[in-house]
Amino acid sequence: MKKTFLRTALSLATGAVMMMAAPAAMAQTIKIGLITDKVGPAKPYAEPVTAGAVYAVKELNAKGGLLGRQVELLVEDDQGKPDVSATAARKLVDAGAAFILSVSLTPATQQAQSVTLETRTPHMTPSNSGDTLTTQISNANFWQTGPLASTQIATLLSYARNKNFKRVALVTENSALGQLTNQFFKAGLEKNGIQIVSEEVVPGGSTSADPQMQKVRASNPDALFMTGVTTPENALILRSYRQLGMKTPILANYNMSVPVYSSVAKGLLDGVAFVDAFDPAKAETQRFIEAFKKDSGNEPYNLNGYGYDGLMLVADAIKRAGSTDKDKVREAMQATRGFQGVMGGVGASYGFADGRRTGFDTNGMVVRVYEGDKQGKVVHVGVK
Amino acid sequence: MNDFLELVVGATASGCIYGLVALSYLLVTRPTGIINFAVGEWSMVAAFGGFMLLSRWELPYPVGMLVVVAAMFGVGWATERFTVRPLVERGAPPLAPILALLGMLVVFRELVSLGFGPDPQPVPPSFGFGRLELGPLAGSYQSFFIITMAGAVFGAAWWFFERTLAGKSFEAVAIDRRAAALMGINLRLVTSLAFAASAGVAGLAGLLVAPNVSAHYLMGLPLAIQGFTALVIGGVGRVEGALLGGLILAFAEQFTVRYAPVPPGLAMGVPLVLLIVFLLIRPTGLLLPREARA
Repeated sequence: MKKTFLRTALSLATGAVMMMAAPAAMAQTIKIGLITDKVGPAKPYAEPVTAGAVYAVKELNAKGGLLGRQVELLVEDDQGKPDVSATAARKLVDAGAAFILSVSLTPATQQAQSVTLETRTPHMTPSNSGDTLTTQISNANFWQTGPLASTQIATLLSYARNKNFKRVALVTENSALGQLTNQFFKAGLEKNGIQIVSEEVVPGGSTSADPQMQKVRASNPDALFMTGVTTPENALILRSYRQLGMKTPILANYNMSVPVYSSVAKGLLDGVAFVDAFDPAKAETQRFIEAFKKDSGNEPYNLNGYGYDGLMLVADAIKRAGSTDKDKVREAMQATRGFQGVMGGVGASYGFADGRRTGFDTNGMVVRVYEGDKQGKVVHVGVK
Repeated sequence: MNDFLELVVGATASGCIYGLVALSYLLVTRPTGIINFAVGEWSMVAAFGGFMLLSRWELPYPVGMLVVVAAMFGVGWATERFTVRPLVERGAPPLAPILALLGMLVVFRELVSLGFGPDPQPVPPSFGFGRLELGPLAGSYQSFFIITMAGAVFGAAWWFFERTLAGKSFEAVAIDRRAAALMGINLRLVTSLAFAASAGVAGLAGLLVAPNVSAHYLMGLPLAIQGFTALVIGGVGRVEGALLGGLILAFAEQFTVRYAPVPPGLAMGVPLVLLIVFLLIRPTGLLLPREARA
């Protein structure tokens, strides 16, 4: 009886010690929050970006973590909704996240900033490309490393300089990012003295893009710029383009770099030029491809790279800050210069010079052209 | 003129898709009074069925199509049996099945999203990608196939409701459920068959449209809205109304974009304006049900 009592008491005491020790061990980790979209319209893009960030955490921890502590990724789903995104940010701040990454729709990322601004929590989006994310809210705690739409159009125009386009058409869809991308492509074209002769919108859920593409065909443009970011609508546009027998050169935004087009737009892609931030021939990118493939069994692509780079940028800032103190991390992140990641052409690097909070190298994008249904090699780099 | 006639073919094909989704609504709404907003998700499920059978397993198109439509009959029957019937038998208020089916909308969407991932998936067209010219009319093979299939379905539905005893029993239930039951019509069977047929028709619409829009987990809701708008325009009373509503909606959408001098962002509001106008001035739709005709 006495023995049983002692055994029970010992077990209870051990359990109590372990329960007290567990939170202490958890507190040892460096918590990084990640807001993603698991069910909403950004899911096709948010999932692979998140997978890249998850892999980066795994790689960091395998190498001993950060500041001698393991990194813990706290993932929250905002469903692509701005209000839910702000709630998720609040939850992550309360959970002690030292940094928050947003991998969702642009409006959702915008709304999450209301929380990071108030709580002075360092916050970054590694994949959003909307130009207005760092300009609409004066939030010194927020950075963006996705390639801006203005950089995309500048790179495409640099590639097409010798083609001397005078009159072009724009086709987009009606998502918030599609509209924003279109707006900045339009501004870039007009700034270069190129006339927009037709501007069409294919709404989400359309069953045909024939009327829009007929209008484009009737306007007889020198080139067609695709600024939409939703795959089904872009595939619909390409289908109508081929069906109507159009031959106008197509130049597309970075959404066309997602590999899924090779299957959903099979037979429709040959000759389409698109801007990308991923050069599989680059040494850093090749290392990432091999390591990711070894870990997951799947070959990574550009969206995985955005998440990976985003998390590595955060880790670099925390390392240089020497602590997770929010003010120190903020200063370290703003001081980032020449950080070479897996994204961008050869020699491209991230940095926030001159107080800017957009960190993707303006000379870091590349242009590739579809050869049949396969993405061809890089044919142009940067805006020079 | 070429553009105009080309657009007539494209808009007719889109109208047929909307019409089929409207017919799917109508098949359930007429005998039960239930509006099933999950019809779009049924189309989505069938589109993924098409992806599996036609793209991944590469079954012959007619076989794949028959299997998918037959499976959708089963999905419709199961939806009624396990979601709607328990509520009706427990005397739940009329709104309960509608809300339960809205819940099923989310269930279908999330199951597909979890099972197939978020990326769109390809579904091949019946006769490949190609262009057919019939005199002055021209369009894709798929457009002509959609028109033919929709014509066959609407023809069969009209014949069933107008010319067969079984069809008359559906109509009787639609007119007065209690009187129909007193006449010996099996209400349970009629309701089950209505759901099964509705899912089959919605599934066919999904299978036909998928080669154009790809199979993706968010494709259901726009189809449900377009189909519902077509139903309001054409009227819930008659099979022909669903097709008429679909065609009017598609022509309004596509001809506004092509020819009306409105900014591209505003043209997409035309269907909604049309919906509001019809609800205000002709809430019964263009075609009245049989019992209301003189």
